[in-house]
Amino acid sequence: MEGAAEKKALFLQRTLRSGQRVRYDGSIVILGDVNPGAEVVASGDIIILGALRGVAHAGATGDPTALVAALQLHATQLRIASCIGRRPDGDKASGSPEIARVQDGIVIVNPYLLGA
Amino acid sequence: MPQVIVVTSGKGGVGKTTTTANLGTALAMLNQHVVLIDADIGLRNLDVVLGLENRIVYDLVDVVEGYCRLRQALVRDKQFDNLYLLPAAQTKDKTAVNPEQMTALCQELRQDFDYIMIDCPAGIEQGFKNAIAGAEKAIIVTTPEVAAIRDADRIIGLLEAEGRGDPKLVINRLRPNMVRRGDMLDIIDVIDILAIDLLGVVPEDERVVALTNRGEAAVLQNNSRAGKAYRNIALRITGENVPLMPLAEEEGLWDRLRRAVGLGRH
Ligand SMILES: Nc1ncnc2c1ncn2[C@@H]1O[C@H](COP(=O)(O)OP(=O)(O)OP(=O)(O)O)[C@@H](O)[C@H]1O
Ligand SMILES: [Mg+2]
Repeated sequence: MEGAAEKKALFLQRTLRSGQRVRYDGSIVILGDVNPGAEVVASGDIIILGALRGVAHAGATGDPTALVAALQLHATQLRIASCIGRRPDGDKASGSPEIARVQDGIVIVNPYLLGA
Repeated sequence: MPQVIVVTSGKGGVGKTTTTANLGTALAMLNQHVVLIDADIGLRNLDVVLGLENRIVYDLVDVVEGYCRLRQALVRDKQFDNLYLLPAAQTKDKTAVNPEQMTALCQELRQDFDYIMIDCPAGIEQGFKNAIAGAEKAIIVTTPEVAAIRDADRIIGLLEAEGRGDPKLVINRLRPNMVRRGDMLDIIDVIDILAIDLLGVVPEDERVVALTNRGEAAVLQNNSRAGKAYRNIALRITGENVPLMPLAEEEGLWDRLRRAVGLGRH
């Protein structure tokens, strides 16, 4: 982990339901689902050990290196810093873990490969 | 041990009143002492669905305002002398009652009844808060539609925040043909999102509308599929283990259901 700055993280073990929002100055890790209509906002990274179906905003205070990862990335909308991404209409999530980052000013989603 | 169960949904028109009337009647058929409270003040319906409108003298607001005693406001069912309705006021609105009064009312009804079921109005405002105040259990009714599920999810979150976790789910108006064609969410999709225990699935049944208009409960009809589904749900509420009825779904669906069925006793 050389060079990696230590970040503080909020750990939640629950399902975020429609109308619920979590904001945190740091990273957020949720063991559970984020349902449609729920919102997760972090100044750091967002990691969902479950299905992300709502809105996630990582790097919310302007950090474009922040990432969003989920076991199932079905987010209604993904925001990283000031970049906004959503799946093309009709596009299906893979169902396996994925990770989203900003590359060249756009949000790119890639499979999250263990060990890669 | 009496149970106070609120029937709620968030979204309007998904079948709360139908569910309350049918489960109440089905529980009465099982020899339970049941009172149904219409908490939809200003838009009362439950009396009409039960065919009791013409017997109402006093209502819930009269009780909390002290115009009559609770006993006087209870309307006995046409067929079952162990089934009662506490009607809503039609000429007042939700602010005529507060959560403390509802809690006290439910507390008083516990002395005389096994099941106190509350028909909640749509929405998340005062009427919802009143309806859940005295209840320790909740049944969430949803249809297999994205908007209804979204609202159900919101309601489950609010119930959790009020310390009334562990609500049970009734999926209403399922149309097996549409599910098979992929035009309707299937049960697994719904449970996947809401992640609460499934209490039962009620199929779309056009006879429900006709029966409702006549003030008759579907559970009294042997040939109504919705009625059968509601009778099964009532059995599960009393703690019996009744398998889900097949709704002409693909084989193996029921095996894929991860969650146990049943409201359980504590
Ligand atoms: N399983 C069913 N099959 C067919 N029709 C149904 C079924 N369940 C409910 N309905 C019909 O749907 C309509 C709405 O039902 P109901 O009044 O019970 O909903 P509600 O959730 O109480 O509505 P509101 O939010 O306005 O109080 C009624 O006309 C009812 O007859
Ligand atoms: Mg109603």
